[in-house]
Amino acid sequence: MGERGRLTDSGPSKAAEALVAVFLPLACREEVLGDLHERYRSPWQYGFEALSTVPLVAIGRIRRTADPRILLIQAFAVAVSFLGAAWFRDGPLLRSQWGLLRLAVPGAMTLLGLVLEDAYARLGRRNAAELVRGPVARIALATLSQAALGAGHAGVAVPRWVMLYGCG
Amino acid sequence: MARSDSLGQFEQLVLTAVLSLREDAYGVTIHAKVQELAQPKAVSLGAVYVTLDRLEDKGMIASWLSDPTPARGGRAKRCYRLEALGELVLQESAVTAKRVWDLIAGVWGEEWAKEWGKRWGKEAG
Repeated sequence: MGERGRLTDSGPSKAAEALVAVFLPLACREEVLGDLHERYRSPWQYGFEALSTVPLVAIGRIRRTADPRILLIQAFAVAVSFLGAAWFRDGPLLRSQWGLLRLAVPGAMTLLGLVLEDAYARLGRRNAAELVRGPVARIALATLSQAALGAGHAGVAVPRWVMLYGCG
Repeated sequence: MARSDSLGQFEQLVLTAVLSLREDAYGVTIHAKVQELAQPKAVSLGAVYVTLDRLEDKGMIASWLSDPTPARGGRAKRCYRLEALGELVLQESAVTAKRVWDLIAGVWGEEWAKEWGKRWGKEAG
């Protein structure tokens, strides 16, 4: 099959490819986009195939970049960071019935941000913008989780300063 | 407990595809070959990528990026080749599969083995 087996000479639109590229880890973006382009038959087929392929590629990349020992150390650091922030900024939060659970949500999101940052990072040296993007993404993820929780029940969200200190 | 270099069934299919495609082994062609080998099961492209990554981590295959081609929107292919460890474990699993086949054919009889042999021959043809 391969290039000789292509059913049509047309390819996906630039916009569709750019959208798929956003969700693909940099380390495997080139070949996956090329393979999806080569298998292109229609916009629907392309969209369906991208939807079924990209999550698996991302999970595969996370599996390769996430070291369980480092992840454990990061989880410990994040937990200490959030507990410390709560201790200094909002002592009663720690003593409240669901205080630790409330802190665990932004903590887990921050950890997820760290994992995604590694999986989506460019190989080799990173420039300044890429170095800033990681912490910004972590804070955004934690903030989004708090916004989602706050929309359901305002009392569940962690105070803003605790969250910002914890993520930082 | 499984050995670190033991192969799962899907890994066997992917390794076999890489072996048979030789210089033309990359995502699209490997997926097509695995799909052919796994019939009638459907195989997703993503599952093939995940398995290729895992096999590369185990040191059974190696990969490199080829030159970009216009047919792929100016993007490169990631080509794969079998490493010595991959050849070894594939040989082991082929021998095991042959033993399983011989044993089953011995129990269920020559007629059964001929019938399935014919079916596979037709599918392959």
